[in-house]
Amino acid sequence: MLKKKMIKNFTWPLKVATHGVESTRLYPEVMMELPAAERGIHELDATTCIGCGSCARVCPNSCIEMVPYKYGNPLKNKKMQFPQIDYGRCMFCGLCVDECPVECLKMGKNVVMTGWEREDIVKGPGDIAARKHSAKEVAEFEAEAKRIAAEKAAAKKAAAKEGAAKKAPAKAAGEKAPKKAEGANDKSKNGGAS
Amino acid sequence: MTTASEVLSSLQSAFPGAIKDPRVESDARLWATVDPKRIYDVCKYLTDKLNFDHYSGSAGVDWIANNEMEVVEIMASHGAHPVVAMLKVRTPRDNPSIKSLTGLYWNADWYEREIWEMFGINFENHSGLYPLLLSDELMGVWPWRKDFKGYPDLTTGQRAVALPTANGYTEFRIPPTPAEIEAGTVPKERPKYPSFREREEAEIKSDSEMIMHLGPQHAMVPGPFLLDILVEGERVRKGFLDVGYIHKGIEKIMENRTWLQGITYTDRMCYVASLSNNECYCGAVEKILGLEVPERAQYIRVIVEELSRIQSHLIGTGEFLTLIAGVGYAPWQYMIIDREHVISLIESVTGARLTHSFVRFGGVRNDLPDDFAEKCKITLPYIKSRINEFIELFAQDPIYDLRMKDVGVLPAETAKEVGIAGPALRASGVSYDMRVEDPILVYPDLDFKVITGTKGDCADRIDVRLREILESIYIIEQCLDRIPSGPIKPEAKVPKKVPAGEAYYRVEDPRGEMGMYVISDGGDKPYRVKVRGPFYATLQTLPPLLEGVYVADVVAIAGSMDGCPSEADR
Repeated sequence: MLKKKMIKNFTWPLKVATHGVESTRLYPEVMMELPAAERGIHELDATTCIGCGSCARVCPNSCIEMVPYKYGNPLKNKKMQFPQIDYGRCMFCGLCVDECPVECLKMGKNVVMTGWEREDIVKGPGDIAARKHSAKEVAEFEAEAKRIAAEKAAAKKAAAKEGAAKKAPAKAAGEKAPKKAEGANDKSKNGGAS
Repeated sequence: MTTASEVLSSLQSAFPGAIKDPRVESDARLWATVDPKRIYDVCKYLTDKLNFDHYSGSAGVDWIANNEMEVVEIMASHGAHPVVAMLKVRTPRDNPSIKSLTGLYWNADWYEREIWEMFGINFENHSGLYPLLLSDELMGVWPWRKDFKGYPDLTTGQRAVALPTANGYTEFRIPPTPAEIEAGTVPKERPKYPSFREREEAEIKSDSEMIMHLGPQHAMVPGPFLLDILVEGERVRKGFLDVGYIHKGIEKIMENRTWLQGITYTDRMCYVASLSNNECYCGAVEKILGLEVPERAQYIRVIVEELSRIQSHLIGTGEFLTLIAGVGYAPWQYMIIDREHVISLIESVTGARLTHSFVRFGGVRNDLPDDFAEKCKITLPYIKSRINEFIELFAQDPIYDLRMKDVGVLPAETAKEVGIAGPALRASGVSYDMRVEDPILVYPDLDFKVITGTKGDCADRIDVRLREILESIYIIEQCLDRIPSGPIKPEAKVPKKVPAGEAYYRVEDPRGEMGMYVISDGGDKPYRVKVRGPFYATLQTLPPLLEGVYVADVVAIAGSMDGCPSEADR
């Protein structure tokens, strides 16, 4: 047992020096057991976040900023933003978690945070995301979005052609409207399914 | 038993025409506006005839829309009846001035000084209107007035300018802002008052006397305050207090935060008792909102607040005993280990170890975890056995006896007069506990007794705290037996805006009577929050207590008050 620890004492500095492990050694070596209610570092479910910004508004220290994030919930709104938390200011009060309407922001049991720079403790949505879409899924979403856009463009073109072909303008307008509505329905269905 | 309406009718018959727009909120709360000319007489009448012997503090309010200033005197009684009279005195905003109550109540001194330095309300016949919490250069800017723009004027973005002096130091000057120069309102030289140093040095009468500094960073209390004692040989002749080293202006900050965000700031007033602070603020807001707290939430609040009391008393006692040479570090080691178990229990419910932000308007944040009762069944008997052990240990220790028995004796009459709070007051034999006087939550249903001492010396104060832990354990055990199942939050969503109104809510903090006076103007932010902290009252009583004691006993007396200067300064 003692030998093991002695070896660790030698190997740890080496590891830090060679591998660039950016953290201090844990002591006591076994972390104490934390309760389920623990308010530690946030965990974001980026796939369900709706980017409403409630968390940013309720934060007493205004340490939450909404930033764009690629691997989040994509289809609702392209410009949707996700929370980025500055842990230099966060006081772990948990108001953001209470305020979240879709319960996508939680506080986990991870309470350890180290870094060399001040920027290291500003955690973007990518750092705090416990669930996010993979690159493949994002590519699929993008393809889907492209397909929908193409379909829409095609529908528009067709409508325009039809409108040009028919001479009576009142009649053209009457036909155009239902088609547009159909396209919108299609899009929302796709979004819901994915 | 006296009720608020009886007090009101008695006042109205004694002072016809002086009491305006009275409001009897409940049997225990009376609100009234008093003619500024008669306030002294009204208070004298209340004290002499109606047993209002406890001056509980005063709050200043700036009604900028009406061009008026207001001082609210909070009057209560030491157990004779539960009525709290909130007497408002109004004065015009230009050159505000009202009569000082220092002639009637000794402890009005600090409350009035604070209002004077924050709002600029002058108190006639007050003998020592000196800065208390603010630094000297902030005098005359009246920071808690509603038209305060920051110091230096933050609207212009100008800051203090550093100027090197001839002897190598740096001086900071705040030049007048361009806006001020343009308007021709360049502030005159800030009024000069004798500094704390000059005031205390004026008291030195002979060469045999000298001033000893204890603090601002002293092991005596877990926070900074300066206690200077004027000693003559081994005896203390006079004590001087300088506070405000960690003045954070929490009352002003809370005016600029939403109602919900305010909860997180109450935590930071005193982190050892953050749950009582939460409760006090939320209770006051609930009173304005007229919210009913579900029964399960009430029980959860009582349980966590009593646990918080246990841990606060454990760390307060343990920390203090390290200062008493001879008793040594053993109790500290024992108590801090025991406290760890209690803290873990609280953490399993609230999710944080010290700054809980746990209480919400009309409920609590989390429900109790499933295994909470079982954990309590292991921890609480253990703490109980340990506390009994400590009581036995201190009873046997001869050095503890010499250092603590008959040291810093505070007779009941003096204790009432100086307005000391909490265990220090109860150690003098005055049974005054907010849980009984002004019952909140489910405390009326619970069976517990108020622990009192007999002599009021240092040993009694420690003894009262230790026995209060046992009482708290008894309360928690009852709560765990009775706690019903049900919701922990109100069914309807709590509105973001609180209707216009005001409330004064009192809780029993581990350190004593804690009250919050909250005013809403119907917006999403409080109009004014006044915190009447228990240690503010206790700290004020130190100088008279220290007169004539040995230097070695100063630490024993000051430490046995279990201080938290962070909460006194706010």
